[in-house]
Amino acid sequence: MHYPFWFVPGLTSPMLIAVIAVLHIFVSLYAVGGGIFLARETAFAYRTNNREYLDYLHGHAWFFILVTVVYGAITGVGIWWTIGLASPLPTEMLIHTFVFAWAMEYVFFILEIVSAFIFYYAWGRLTPRVHTQIGWIYAVSAWMSLVLITGITAFMLNPGNWQQNFWRAFFNPQFLPQTLARTGAALLLTTLYVYLHASLRARPQALRDLIAQRSTLPAMIGGGLIILGGLGWLLALPPSARLALAGAAALNVLMVLIFFCTAVVLAMFYLGPYRHPAWLSPGAAILLFLIGLAVTGAGEFVREAVRKPFVIYGEVYSHNVYRGELPSLQREGFLNGGVWTRRYIARTVPALMTSTGQIDATRIPALPLDQQLEVGHTLFNYHCASCHAPSGYSGMKELLPGWTGEMIGSLIVNLDRFHYLMPPWSGTPEEAGALRRYLETLAPPTPMTNKNGSP
Amino acid sequence: MLPTFPLAPASPLGNPAPFWFIVTFKVLGFTLHMGPMHIWYAGSVLVALFTLFGRGHARRLASRLASALPILIALGVNFGIIPLLFVQVGYYPVVYPATILIAWFWFAVIPLLIVAYYGTYYYVAQIRKGSVDRKGVAASVASAVAFLTIGFFFSNNFSLMTNKDQMLAIYDRTAVGGAVSGLALNVGDPTLFPRWLMMFGLAITTTAAYVLLDTVFFARDETVDYRRWAARFAVRLYAGGVVWFAAFGSWYIFGALRPEIRQAMLAQQPILLLATLTAVAPGIVWLLLVRASQTLHRAQAWATGAMQFVVLALNAITRQWVQNTELAGFFDPAAARVQTQWTPLILFLILFALALGVVGWMVSQVLRAPARGHAG
Repeated sequence: MHYPFWFVPGLTSPMLIAVIAVLHIFVSLYAVGGGIFLARETAFAYRTNNREYLDYLHGHAWFFILVTVVYGAITGVGIWWTIGLASPLPTEMLIHTFVFAWAMEYVFFILEIVSAFIFYYAWGRLTPRVHTQIGWIYAVSAWMSLVLITGITAFMLNPGNWQQNFWRAFFNPQFLPQTLARTGAALLLTTLYVYLHASLRARPQALRDLIAQRSTLPAMIGGGLIILGGLGWLLALPPSARLALAGAAALNVLMVLIFFCTAVVLAMFYLGPYRHPAWLSPGAAILLFLIGLAVTGAGEFVREAVRKPFVIYGEVYSHNVYRGELPSLQREGFLNGGVWTRRYIARTVPALMTSTGQIDATRIPALPLDQQLEVGHTLFNYHCASCHAPSGYSGMKELLPGWTGEMIGSLIVNLDRFHYLMPPWSGTPEEAGALRRYLETLAPPTPMTNKNGSP
Repeated sequence: MLPTFPLAPASPLGNPAPFWFIVTFKVLGFTLHMGPMHIWYAGSVLVALFTLFGRGHARRLASRLASALPILIALGVNFGIIPLLFVQVGYYPVVYPATILIAWFWFAVIPLLIVAYYGTYYYVAQIRKGSVDRKGVAASVASAVAFLTIGFFFSNNFSLMTNKDQMLAIYDRTAVGGAVSGLALNVGDPTLFPRWLMMFGLAITTTAAYVLLDTVFFARDETVDYRRWAARFAVRLYAGGVVWFAAFGSWYIFGALRPEIRQAMLAQQPILLLATLTAVAPGIVWLLLVRASQTLHRAQAWATGAMQFVVLALNAITRQWVQNTELAGFFDPAAARVQTQWTPLILFLILFALALGVVGWMVSQVLRAPARGHAG
């Protein structure tokens, strides 16, 4: 309403954020952990004068650059791109709060890019000491970029008592747990990348065994950090988020799967590459890698889902409305509170407009049905469509079969009581009526009816 | 009465820095971004053309240019972060609606950039192997087309964000239930095409300046014949870029810009001086380039490169004046409340300075390092 809403059929525009974010996190964690791996192992290979290992690491560094500098970096920018399109109001708030955190992240990106390219392209020309130092410059810079972005994403889940102060906002209650968990995930996921690459590219077997064995300890450390960070994350969850985790079936299942799969992967590390390095075949490495990606993706889904009904907890609701705006919207109208919705209604339903350019929602019930449906459609797009497609992802056609108009009407005015993951109804009673009429057109009969439509 | 333009309410947080800081870093950041961006923008087209039709030295130049592109793309994308950050801080009520109205095209920048980037890497890998096959040629062409398309989408966004009438027209035309499809482009704006093409002309000049710098500083192992050819080519390329820039720049200013903006630009100081310098500075660089290409003297090459940076800076400053002037009347970015975040701002500047030092140290290690295979 303060910005135009971008309608993406079937998916909802904010789900594009989720898609890009998950595709990014698969590689960005490797960008951090891989930097630590390359710095540590290059130092080891120089120290032990292991030329074979150095040659392998040189090849791995090329793979690392191709994956992280291109795909990883561009998808990271892609998240930023997409949040401005799909969720502009929270983006505006985050930019105004954290522009200098992002600017600092840009500084570390410069260090990452320059050090990564020099690390690879000057291989064999630098002394071992300098080469290793540059590797560590990359590793530290990458980790700092993880720390900086984590401060921002953690703030979105639990801003704490930030009082509009940068440092209070950055060092929020979720900052430390999420930093630990993400660092752990970076180490663990990187080991899976390394297993995969080494199983396919490292020769001879003795070298593969060495890589497998040396990579397992960082993975175990990573697993420990994930558990520690995960526990902290649970403890620092805001009340409704903790409730959501316990109450939402999908989140229950995903959390159990995450812990179970993590435990399985750690057990496989210990029994496999650590105790019997020769067990690490390409097939096993691929399986571990896919499990790791699945767990990472699930973790991101849970992390995002528990934030509802907010995008920035306690500050901005998922339908791009400031929490503090609710009373005035409920009093004067949701559509009237948005500059773009007001423009749209002025053009399409001029009968609602007063002489001062305001929307008088009390006139809605007197409108012809087609115009009420237009109002309802607009309300749906701006109030509901950030999370619900008309049909598709969390689709209304899939959620409302068999609902009567009375049930829908009751749901609308009791949204947050019906489900605490939804924002409160943010409009007037007349607007609720228009939205109800629109949703009635979407709600099909219950699938339990027989051929002639009766139960 | 509806407002002239539906501006989002002012951020309750205010701007985290004074407006002069925001606009200075926006302009500085854009200038730094333009350097590498121009080389991939026009350079990728040059690489594709020389790969398809070039022979001998032209093919060699294409290889050299392409080999530098992966690093230039990484740096250029990174340098683009700062201007995009600060345009969102200071200009959010217009930049967000503009991007949303063309959402799918703006979103497409990301996959296009991935295609362009990997296409460049694929082509470079083939060069390193010693021969480029049809897939390599296709990759180089695909990269060039992708970069040109990205530039077109950027021109759409930044021309749209200052054109309230077009934003409202697109919204009114495409909104269903108040929501937009994101499938519009700003083709109804007369400034779009001259602006896009003018930037391409400037990119040609920057690429030409880079060819000279490459010839003088990095191509020392090439034959004398190649170096002389490349230097002469840089002169011709730059001249072509100046003509292109002048032609489309003239179209932009005299044929597309709103009359009141043009009038203000040509009648008021200091903008008239600025605009004049912006227009003539490339000519000065060309003269420096001619001299440097004859001597291949390092100091002269440095001077050419530094002067080209000035050309880009003048362009960025003039663009900023035009942007603010186009917005005047419906949005004043300088009117925002300011709540300066002093400690994060200072920390950012300190980190930036330290990072420059670290980068300098890393680069010095490479310059001091012996040729491959002779390290300790």
